[in-house]
Amino acid sequence: MSQFTRRGALAAGALAGIAPLARPALGQGNYPSRPVQVIVPWGAGGGTDATARIVASLLEKEMGQPFNVVNRTGGSGVVGHSAIAQAAPDGYTIGMITVEICMMHWQGLTELKPTSYTPLALMNEDPPGVQVNASSPYRDIKALADAIKASRPGQMKASGTGQGGIWHLALAGWLGAMGLRADHVRWVPSNGAAPAMQDLAAGGVDIVTCSVPEARAIIEAGRARSLAIMAPQRNPQFPNVPTLNETLNINYSVGAWRGIAAPLNLPTPIAQKLTASLQKVWNSQEFKDFMNARGFGMVWGDADGFATHMQRADQTLGDAMKAAGLVRS
Amino acid sequence: MHLSDRVTGLCLALLGSLAFWGGSRLPAVPGQDVGPAAFPMVIGTGLVLCGLMIAFGIGHTFEVEEPAEREEAPGLAKLLGGLDWLAAFLPPVLLLFYVVAADRLGFLITAAIMLLVASRALGASWRLAIGVTVLAPPFVHLVFYKLLRVPLPDGPLTMPW
Amino acid sequence: MNALLDAIQMVATGEVLVAILASAVYGMVIGALPGLTATMATALLVPVTFYLSPIAAVATIITSSAMAIFSGDIPGCLMRIPGTPASAAYTDEAYALTRKGQAELALGASLWFSALGGIAGTVALMIMAPALAEMALSFSTFEYFWLSLLGLMCATLVARSSPIKAIASALLGLLVACVGIENPGGVPRFTFGSTDLLGGIEALPALVGVFAVSEIMRAMVSAPPPPLPNRKLGSILAGQWDLTKRFQKQMWRGNVIGVLIGALPGAGADMAAWVAYATSKKMSKTPEKFGTGYPEGLVESGAANNSALAGGWVPALLFGIPGDTITAIAIGVLYMKGLNPGPTLFSEKASSMYALYIVFMLANILMIPLGILMIRVSRQVLRAPRAVAMPLILLLCAVGAYAIGNNPFAVVLVAAFGVLGFVMERNGYPVAALVLGIVMGTMVEQNLVTSLIKSDGDILPFFERPVAAGLAFFTLAAIFWPAVVWLIRRLRPAAAAR
Repeated sequence: MSQFTRRGALAAGALAGIAPLARPALGQGNYPSRPVQVIVPWGAGGGTDATARIVASLLEKEMGQPFNVVNRTGGSGVVGHSAIAQAAPDGYTIGMITVEICMMHWQGLTELKPTSYTPLALMNEDPPGVQVNASSPYRDIKALADAIKASRPGQMKASGTGQGGIWHLALAGWLGAMGLRADHVRWVPSNGAAPAMQDLAAGGVDIVTCSVPEARAIIEAGRARSLAIMAPQRNPQFPNVPTLNETLNINYSVGAWRGIAAPLNLPTPIAQKLTASLQKVWNSQEFKDFMNARGFGMVWGDADGFATHMQRADQTLGDAMKAAGLVRS
Repeated sequence: MHLSDRVTGLCLALLGSLAFWGGSRLPAVPGQDVGPAAFPMVIGTGLVLCGLMIAFGIGHTFEVEEPAEREEAPGLAKLLGGLDWLAAFLPPVLLLFYVVAADRLGFLITAAIMLLVASRALGASWRLAIGVTVLAPPFVHLVFYKLLRVPLPDGPLTMPW
Repeated sequence: MNALLDAIQMVATGEVLVAILASAVYGMVIGALPGLTATMATALLVPVTFYLSPIAAVATIITSSAMAIFSGDIPGCLMRIPGTPASAAYTDEAYALTRKGQAELALGASLWFSALGGIAGTVALMIMAPALAEMALSFSTFEYFWLSLLGLMCATLVARSSPIKAIASALLGLLVACVGIENPGGVPRFTFGSTDLLGGIEALPALVGVFAVSEIMRAMVSAPPPPLPNRKLGSILAGQWDLTKRFQKQMWRGNVIGVLIGALPGAGADMAAWVAYATSKKMSKTPEKFGTGYPEGLVESGAANNSALAGGWVPALLFGIPGDTITAIAIGVLYMKGLNPGPTLFSEKASSMYALYIVFMLANILMIPLGILMIRVSRQVLRAPRAVAMPLILLLCAVGAYAIGNNPFAVVLVAAFGVLGFVMERNGYPVAALVLGIVMGTMVEQNLVTSLIKSDGDILPFFERPVAAGLAFFTLAAIFWPAVVWLIRRLRPAAAAR
């Protein structure tokens, strides 16, 4: 407001007088011929936003047109996810969709499902870890699992995200795989992983099932330990943390993933071109450096791979949510 | 729009009881003893108590009486005469107009209409009102669209940036 | 010592200095636009930091956020549109000074004590970071519950109205905060089937609505104020030295409150400003002058919110726990640049840490000349005829609200809160209390419910821990204070009559 000087306004006004132009005509032939909008359903500054911004800046280099990141927040992700699904399928609006698309429709929050999109590429997945306070008696995951089985229902408390969030389902699914009820360990909802880790360090909860990168600083500060991750393989960033499969022989894995998708019925040539460019982005050194620096897991899936990945996640998470009593019809 | 304490107090008490009622109908969450219902019910109770106290004039002695403004406002309020308080609701109406019209008319035209109506309603001369209507929208568009990358809708007029 | 010399070398490069200067100007401008916040300024910088060296990248964030928090006071003071919830605490006070024709004094005080507060906060960060971080980690949800309730009660202490109406306003704010799915149960609450309401009502559209739009609504039905005497603009800093001497105690108290509350993750600058303003009024010899354009409260709360900003970096740097949204973004940048938060940052990368301290100092010193420039430019706004300024503010409210999440629904909210704010003010309900309720609502509920879950429904743990017990005492005292005052007032005339 205070920038509104008379001279600036005059200059801008003069420019406006000369130049209102008609929008350039578009052809499908040499896509992209104008800037592309990348919708992010989450707020600026978070992990999804940061990933989308690096992908967008690399796509811009790759395809020679600006890729503008637009944060469409609101409705706990529903607003942004619908904005992607409802955009015109012309390739000029794409978006980053996240694991919540496999959860929200089970809770009755939206009609949108993984099948409401043209999947383009899976870019990242972070599996949950099992973190305990550094001064807790559980040296390894087996000791913790035994303690959980021996505890009375509701005695132990775990946290990591809000009620019904992805890390809550990770815990519920793990407990289910051990043959326990989903609420055997009581879930303490938190406002994200960071406050949960703080409460873990303060001794407020017993377990936090957020991803290892989210827990990293507290672990490195010597206040917490990561006992296991719920993934098929160990994370090369954290090679000392074993998987659930190798320690407890429980083959259970879920994760928070992020991928790029477009509205349904995107013309196949455009979809193929985008997927090919996204693969180059994923393989680029800049993307690797960024993901490694943040500790984010690098998982690739092309259009078909992403589609099957989402379908599987939809099933696993739906089961976990039913077990936890979170499904609303 | 000066209402008596009795009216506002009773409105608050009504709102509080609605919040209590709405809160009590929320489903319990498995695994939580204290569910999502507790907080709205506590607030509802508080609002009912406060509303009743206000309605009965408790705490009124603390209030500092503002000197009443009896001067006449120019522009729209003058035009409306006895109903001058209606003019106060023009700004929110213009905001709603922006929401409805921006996608169809584009940012520039919508903003220009808003500015013209609002400045005239505040008693600006035609010269001043048209000046601000012509000059300000492109400048605001430049700052927000170009520098801050806010996706303002284009509409029939596109800016060169 | 070597580390310090290294640090000076790291900062004294062309790249870092240019980055500091450019991001300072950028932060100043964004902060001064209504609706755009320090958080947004920081988030928009992230893609730029990809291409910068580590120190330059973090320097842009430190500098732009400090500038934006200060310049958020400018529209608050000149047009009664607080830039951030942090400045909402003292917006009325600053605006009252402007109406008395003392805009320079108000803005100068805001600038001068912001800069001093920032420097004090940095010094605290330098010498007490480990101790402060230890304090932050010892706070569990029980302590946070009492703290957030105490912050909420500040609304009643600050208000120049009946405490019951202030409490009612705050409760209304809490009720607004109930809307949406972001509650401990993850259940959609009061959303009436609307997707837009699912994510809840953010504080920012409410802030813009109840302050800015209701002000424009008032302008529609009131005569334009008499034009300000067009005297020569005095030196902005001249009066500040006097204020510093006169309110030295308040300034230090503000700094201490800011650093302590800022270091608590989640509490942050917003609450620091409110607590400082309330403390100032409570401890003042002339509390009746508060709210009429009296600088005492401005000094204390202005110092508090900028020292809180530095305090917020303590848990971020030591444990990677964000103190607020700005440090949350900063943590991401730190990781990306290989400056991983943690105690090792202080031991192994000591020179980088010193470099960051130097950047903090530079940013706060640079704030003074740039701020003076900004104040001189923006003061012109007051000269613009009301019939032009108000429509422009209305347009900026619409665009600024839309820019928060690129969601037109935010503009609808701004309009609704404008009406609510207008009606509330006309009837003696303080709107600042409503904003505080919205800001604190989630925190109060989250900490109450999680504490009850952890204690299996037992109330005792809320009073068991020493810090929790202390905070509980203050909070309960603040709650029952109005009742006590009312009783005393009631009894006194009765006694006199007898």
